[in-house]
Amino acid sequence: MIPVSHYLAVGAVLFTLGLIGFLSRRNLIVMFLSAELMLQGVAVNFVAFSRYHGNLHGQVFTLFVIAVAACEAGVALALFLMLYRRKRSLDVSLWQALRETDVPETVDTEPLPPVSPEEPLPKLPPAGVEPERDEERQYV
Amino acid sequence: MLPVVAGGLTVWYLLPVTRQRPRKYGLLLGLLALAGLAGFLLRGFGDRVPETVESVLFFGFSGLAIVFAVLMITGRNPARSALAFALVVLSTCGLFLLLAAPFLAAATVVIYAGAIIVTFLFVIMLSQQEGPSNANLRSREPEFATAAGFLLLATFLVGLQRVYDWRSVDAAIAHASALARADKIDPDYLSPRSKADVEEMKPDPPPLTPKAAAFVAEMRSALDRVRVAAPRGPDDRRLTEHKTVQELQNAIDFGLPTAFKDPDGDGVRPACQTISDGLMRLKGYRDGTNTFHDVTLSEHGVVKPIDQPVNERQLPAANVSAVGRTLFTDHLLAIELAGTLLLIATVGAIAIAGRREVPA
Repeated sequence: MIPVSHYLAVGAVLFTLGLIGFLSRRNLIVMFLSAELMLQGVAVNFVAFSRYHGNLHGQVFTLFVIAVAACEAGVALALFLMLYRRKRSLDVSLWQALRETDVPETVDTEPLPPVSPEEPLPKLPPAGVEPERDEERQYV
Repeated sequence: MLPVVAGGLTVWYLLPVTRQRPRKYGLLLGLLALAGLAGFLLRGFGDRVPETVESVLFFGFSGLAIVFAVLMITGRNPARSALAFALVVLSTCGLFLLLAAPFLAAATVVIYAGAIIVTFLFVIMLSQQEGPSNANLRSREPEFATAAGFLLLATFLVGLQRVYDWRSVDAAIAHASALARADKIDPDYLSPRSKADVEEMKPDPPPLTPKAAAFVAEMRSALDRVRVAAPRGPDDRRLTEHKTVQELQNAIDFGLPTAFKDPDGDGVRPACQTISDGLMRLKGYRDGTNTFHDVTLSEHGVVKPIDQPVNERQLPAANVSAVGRTLFTDHLLAIELAGTLLLIATVGAIAIAGRREVPA
């Protein structure tokens, strides 16, 4: 049996990655996904302790975590849609008017990279020969 | 340290910035970090990971989960991030299966990977943008975020190692029992009072020799580690120590120094025997090989004897029915609350997302 400490370490790694994503990304959707990643890390911990102690309360707690995450996802995605309709972008920095008064404004100085031209979709070569069509013929 | 530093560099390097970085170096660093983490898990905790299919599955699933988590937070395309998250969820479900939670694994696949991710993809589709955007190609303070996150991770890992790595206690037990079984005590340990001191009735006892002092310090730190494992009585909420702990404390603080100052060192062997026995006993409580027959521990309010060692504590085989029974007996109120929460969230989501006329 794998000792419980190993599962705890994996849960800690997942939680940390989620935290970094939440702190550093600017797309609202990716930020929300990162929050869900943190929940996954915690869920691993709960289930590992449930196995370790031999009772089911950890698993039940994880079920509740999933239920709450589902609620969260519904409400948050509805919010994102509304925000997107207002500003036509999911960038969280567009809403920095809501920041604390003593926090400096975020200004982007470096220009965005130029758009790389999209690669054309592959075209299939015509395969085989088009059969002769006999328009007159009637299939009954 | 290696996995944390390499992992931090990987994530920082791969986070989106306006300049394009070649992904090759990030990949190399990431492999290094994963290898470091695997090495830490294999050796860092002192107990051996058994070479079974289970460990192969464990390392496979956790490696996949971590790789896809990194891809998720570094991806420039939110749709790909969502798919990577779905794969993280699937790998975690593999871990759940290893932890004997099949119902939870199935529920997570259905709810997370099925429902939630599909909703995400719909929202991404509805809010699609053309061309490069600030949202996807810039990061907020990537250096600070990565440093903070990986500092936290380092703290977690060091804490885990301090709690679960008992190699120092094992070493202390071996040391003490070796000294208890020695035919002749090493004179380096002994600091007998000289005849003149005894005759003059000098009150100051001689100091311990460096070796003896180091031994006492080692025993003391081992006692600090095992102290948490000692059971406490159910009625006594004050921190009364178990009697083994008290014996150990006495032996280390008074018995051992006195014996070391004895000229012939007669008291050393019994003291060391007491210490090694006591440490073994407390370690047995921690491992679950000694069970608490005489003591009871409180488990969420219900006082009941813990009479099964850790390794024999089993989950019921019928997982679904057992989870159902626990849900509807112990957690009934929580279920009602969760249901209400879901209902309110649905109402709220509809109220927020409903297309209203925005006043001009």
